[in-house]
Amino acid sequence: MERLIRVGQVSFVCLVFCFIYLPIVSLIAFSFNSNRFPSLPWTGFSLHWYNEVFADPSIIDAFVLSILIAVSVSVTATLLGFLGAYMDYRWRFTGKNALLAIIILPPTIPLIVLGLAMLNFLKQVGLAASPLGIFVSHSILCIPFALAVIRMRLADMPPELEQAAWNLGCGQTRTIFKVVVPHCLPAIIAALLITTALSFDEFMIAWFVSGVDVTLPVRILTLLQGQVSASINAIGSIVFAISLILISSALAIIVWSRK
Amino acid sequence: MRRLNAFFATITVPPILWQVIFFLVPLIFLVVMTFWSVQNYRLKPDFTFTNWQKVLAAGYFYDIYLRTFLYAAAATVITSIVAFPVSLFLGLNAGPRFRIVAIFLLICPFFTSYLVRTYSWQVIISDNGIINTMLGAVGIGQVAMLNTFVGTMIGYATFFLPLVILLQFASIAAIDRDLIQAAHNLRCGRLRTIFAVVVPSAKVGLTVGAAFAFILAFGDFVAPSLLGGGRSPTLSILIIDTVKSASDWPRASVVAMAMIVTMMGVIFAALTFAYRKPGETH
Amino acid sequence: MTKFRINQKGLLRSDVSRRNFMGLAGGAAAGLAMSSRGVWAQEATDEFKGKELNVLTWPGHGDPYMVGAFEERYGVRVRVKEYVGGDQLLAVINSTPQGVYDVILADAEVVEQLVDADQIEPLNPADYPFADFFPEFQKFEQHWKDDQLYAVMLRFGYLGLAYNTEKLSAEEVKSYKILWDSKVTGKVGWFDWYLTSLQPLSLYNGNKPPYDISNEAFDKLRETLFSLKPQTAGYFQMADLFSSFANGQAWVVPGIGDWVALLLEDQGRPVKAVVPDEGGLQWTESLSIAKGAKNPELAKRYIQYATSPEGQVKTATLSSYAAAIPNKEGWKLMAKEKPEWADRLRLREDQENVMDQYRKGNIFPRKLPVQQSIEVWNETWTEFKNM
Repeated sequence: MERLIRVGQVSFVCLVFCFIYLPIVSLIAFSFNSNRFPSLPWTGFSLHWYNEVFADPSIIDAFVLSILIAVSVSVTATLLGFLGAYMDYRWRFTGKNALLAIIILPPTIPLIVLGLAMLNFLKQVGLAASPLGIFVSHSILCIPFALAVIRMRLADMPPELEQAAWNLGCGQTRTIFKVVVPHCLPAIIAALLITTALSFDEFMIAWFVSGVDVTLPVRILTLLQGQVSASINAIGSIVFAISLILISSALAIIVWSRK
Repeated sequence: MRRLNAFFATITVPPILWQVIFFLVPLIFLVVMTFWSVQNYRLKPDFTFTNWQKVLAAGYFYDIYLRTFLYAAAATVITSIVAFPVSLFLGLNAGPRFRIVAIFLLICPFFTSYLVRTYSWQVIISDNGIINTMLGAVGIGQVAMLNTFVGTMIGYATFFLPLVILLQFASIAAIDRDLIQAAHNLRCGRLRTIFAVVVPSAKVGLTVGAAFAFILAFGDFVAPSLLGGGRSPTLSILIIDTVKSASDWPRASVVAMAMIVTMMGVIFAALTFAYRKPGETH
Repeated sequence: MTKFRINQKGLLRSDVSRRNFMGLAGGAAAGLAMSSRGVWAQEATDEFKGKELNVLTWPGHGDPYMVGAFEERYGVRVRVKEYVGGDQLLAVINSTPQGVYDVILADAEVVEQLVDADQIEPLNPADYPFADFFPEFQKFEQHWKDDQLYAVMLRFGYLGLAYNTEKLSAEEVKSYKILWDSKVTGKVGWFDWYLTSLQPLSLYNGNKPPYDISNEAFDKLRETLFSLKPQTAGYFQMADLFSSFANGQAWVVPGIGDWVALLLEDQGRPVKAVVPDEGGLQWTESLSIAKGAKNPELAKRYIQYATSPEGQVKTATLSSYAAAIPNKEGWKLMAKEKPEWADRLRLREDQENVMDQYRKGNIFPRKLPVQQSIEVWNETWTEFKNM
């Protein structure tokens, strides 16, 4: 019986992972298909789409810009998200909920409308059609996600922990670094990853506020909606391969450093 | 006391200031814009209630609103239920090595464009697609999936199932093992342990995961248009349609307001529920 | 015809540049034919070296294949921002400070909107090779307002029905009537835009032109549209339009033309596009200079390049999607350099070609509705989708 449950559990888990990876496997497979439209029947093996991607400097430029923005956004958003989460955890004061509402509101706004609003705002401050505008827009969008993830972790932190540190003569700031941050570390790493991913994959706002320097998802959007070519499959596969390498080395470092 | 104030300020001011400067102004712009008009395809500052009247008087607005809400709710329930056994397994049963690999496998998809992944589903579930070709080969007739409700749900799950699993897992992994052991010792059955111990202890993760799912589904337009075939329009699709109509951004913003209010309601309900201390309920 | 205008700097100045000469020549219009290579090929100048030309455009027009020759000639870089819909273009141009973009590529009906929104500069017809254009397109109505030119036609195509040739015969798609056939129940796809979806049905109802119709005719059009709900497969954006044909999700789509069919055919999919007997629409992509452009002179050169025979051949055969071109000299060059494309796009003067089809009189420009507001048409579309 025990065994049967275990087998059932494991096979369900495998099934779910299959579901998650099915579109990725399919997109990788069709990136090697000679046909421009990913559909059956298979028309033959070809590296054409990869050649096309590597021959297009705009795709590589877009990829580099995406990484730069995603990394800076994730650091900014996680830092500010952490502060916001700690604020909510630690204090009660009048107006806190209103302030919190402003902080976490951005993801509730439909991206296309937020895109237009951001563009109009950035125009006023002279950041329209610039990569800096994408950074600002993504940061406001990502802060709430970082906040939510870190706040979740803080909920599991016993209040006595901080108190003990204070009683031992640790200052407020030092306690943050010595007690709170270490406790939240898994959540902070998760927040960094989630916000990087969010920014790296966001195309709607990025499309609106960018000028001629665009990010990879924006490039993908225009390739998909305008050119309809399998080079988006090639891009998807390349990015997937790179993320595999980066994330596995990040995880390896974490595991290794804990030993 | 002074030091506490300075400390308080260093913590609270940066995130608030950042969002107020970079977000509050655009938000106010959005609200104000709902009272503007459009002239010659350009926004014109104005003070008119026409946009609100037009949107709220359109019969289809309520249909679409209800549908969007139900779709998002369905997606939330489905993904939460599908995610739970996986998170449970990862959080309680899986060994550390398996766990790391699983987390790794859950994070990677995020970096492969959601748009491309969704598009990729088309070839899998279309009428002449991979699944139907295989079904045909074993003599089962065609099953319509693309451009149906099922397609839309597959799209939503593609969007946030890994995220929901990760959030649930984070909460479950933090549960005190002794608690579960104690339940076992008290001869609690497997299911009873789950519902009496695991679910309440992991309430925060389960709720936050569900809230994320709802918000992402409620605002998404990729799944209902690319995999739902646009046959059952949602509010995001309505917004895009409205914009296509002579650049009517003010009216699109009215629709956006309805979405913002709904999602804020859901978030606050979820947060209150998730972070309410057991003591406060009694 | 084009007005004869004397450039104010005019002939009195000593540096009678070729530009001014061309101005006169073009202004004197069709009779005084320009060199078959147009303005662009004769010039050698360093004055633009190192500059960037920013173009706001549909995807695909920034391909090195297209802009490479121009970049090389002037030592400049062409940078594009691509949009995927006229509404997006309008939103971005209205919310971006002037001076960011130099050239705007837009559909003809969007050009009208851009003129109304005061976002593009008037042009001097003498600057462009209209004399080489087919007479029908020398003074294209949607590009003029109050006798002032605002855009130059770049390429065009017709919209009618696109269909799966394995499922439907050429005979069956001679009329839009096929859309109601029980054979295609659940297989009628739509391009998710009110204009291209409603106007073919308006033609089916006998309205000529399809965009200028009375309220009664519009009510009837609504009924016609709504009766197609049970036939509907889905409402597609560009990418899923292609994949719907490729994956067998849609067998017939109204308001679509060669721009979709040729690509699919190219990849071995059994898809063709036709203009049914009731008539079809013409889509038109045109180039304009953005209001407040930083490099208006360079923008002008770019438009000259794109409308020159060489530029036209490349424009016609962009890998994003192919289209017909209005420049006769472009046709000639194409017959010489890419005969197979000249055949596929029907751009041969000595054969049945796209201009012959145009002259039959059942091709109408895609235009915004006249007697009803855009909003009324668009809401009908939203209602239909939500039925």
